[in-house]
Amino acid sequence: MFFRRQHKQSPPPAPDDQRPGPELRRRQIENRIRDLRGQIRHSKWWMALFFLLSLGAAADFRFLPPISDQTRQFLGISPSPTLISIALIIYAFSALILILGRMNTSSTRFRGWSHIAYLAGFYLFYFYSGDLRENFWPVFIAGLTILGLESYRVWSFCSEAIREEEKMLKFLER
Amino acid sequence: MFNRFAAKAIVPVTLSLTGFVIICSLFLYSSIKKDLLKDAVQQETSLAATVVSSTRYTMMTGDREQLYHIIDSIGTQKGVEHLRIFNKEGVIMFSSDPAERNQVVDKTTAGCIECHSGPKPTVRLGSMRLARRFVNAKKHNVLAITAPIYNDAHCAAGSCHFHPTRQKVLGTLDIGLSTASLDRRLLALRWKMVIFCLMVLILSVGGTSALLRHNLLNPIDRLMNYVKKLARGDIDNDYPKGIREVETLGRIYLKMAKERHKAETKLLKVRETDNEVKP
Repeated sequence: MFFRRQHKQSPPPAPDDQRPGPELRRRQIENRIRDLRGQIRHSKWWMALFFLLSLGAAADFRFLPPISDQTRQFLGISPSPTLISIALIIYAFSALILILGRMNTSSTRFRGWSHIAYLAGFYLFYFYSGDLRENFWPVFIAGLTILGLESYRVWSFCSEAIREEEKMLKFLER
Repeated sequence: MFNRFAAKAIVPVTLSLTGFVIICSLFLYSSIKKDLLKDAVQQETSLAATVVSSTRYTMMTGDREQLYHIIDSIGTQKGVEHLRIFNKEGVIMFSSDPAERNQVVDKTTAGCIECHSGPKPTVRLGSMRLARRFVNAKKHNVLAITAPIYNDAHCAAGSCHFHPTRQKVLGTLDIGLSTASLDRRLLALRWKMVIFCLMVLILSVGGTSALLRHNLLNPIDRLMNYVKKLARGDIDNDYPKGIREVETLGRIYLKMAKERHKAETKLLKVRETDNEVKP
């Protein structure tokens, strides 16, 4: 998960006599490959979590206890569904722009968790306003697009990095 | 397949564009649907108000026969699924369906619960909250409005029959219209939006692919073939042209190949001279 940070903070190349031996280098490469594969796996888990959340939303969160009048009084009036929809459009637009922008950097970190939190927030806001059934599909499509793009970005960079690391591994084994 | 340059360039653009267009289309559809429903409810409310005001006089005079005729003739109009008038106790006094007369309605059903959810029934509700959509026994989609018939000075002081002034609501008119035409319009709108999304998808994928192919992939292919030719020792001055960057690369490769060729020729000459000197 913190592969990029480790990458950035890597020390300058050591002089020849202090360089790690082939065994240590092999282990380092294997660790990096494991990290990268972990990132791809991570993105799949987050996607699965989003699908689970969406399943709950599709069922109108019937498994949750109904919101009591006291809680409603404490939380106050919900924003209108139109306002929530405008917020969702602005969020989807900004998230897509940010992910497309992040494609220019070689970051292999999956940043889907924050999107899951935002999307869960939208589901809950619509649920609280009593308009979730009507607005389930826009939130689901937004989540699918944002998390799909983020997963594709991570998969694309990680698989490229894995290929490079495997090449180095083969070179070391020769 | 996804590791290819074209896929890397096309997938993110297509995914983000299509996803965003679908989200916006869904919101647009939902907003148009809401507007159309609001219009239908308003039309139905004014129709209910027309029915109430046109039957008011017959109600005041207690001319039941006349009222039955009015309800019957409105009920047979095209698109009218039902028309009923309930009294305060929820008994259907007049209905376009004679079988329903003198039946008691369940106050917890849709259309009644909106006012009867609390311990005291709500006297006034907005038109949107008085409307309900359901599928009736004939399997028709229905949009129904319940319009309260309020007490007024004429009713309270009527000579024929008397309603106390404290009684706010005398009864309820319930009219249900078929939503077949609205559903048809919404279905057509849905298909138009699906076609629009598909067109955006085709245009974005097709446009990006065509532009990439023309401006990047084909010139890179030509450059690759040219470099392979140079690597075989086949010096060709006709390097790929069209894109500035590709042209520059082609020129540099040509220069490198010429220099290598010159160096090889020089080396060969030196070897030949060496062989001649060493008999």
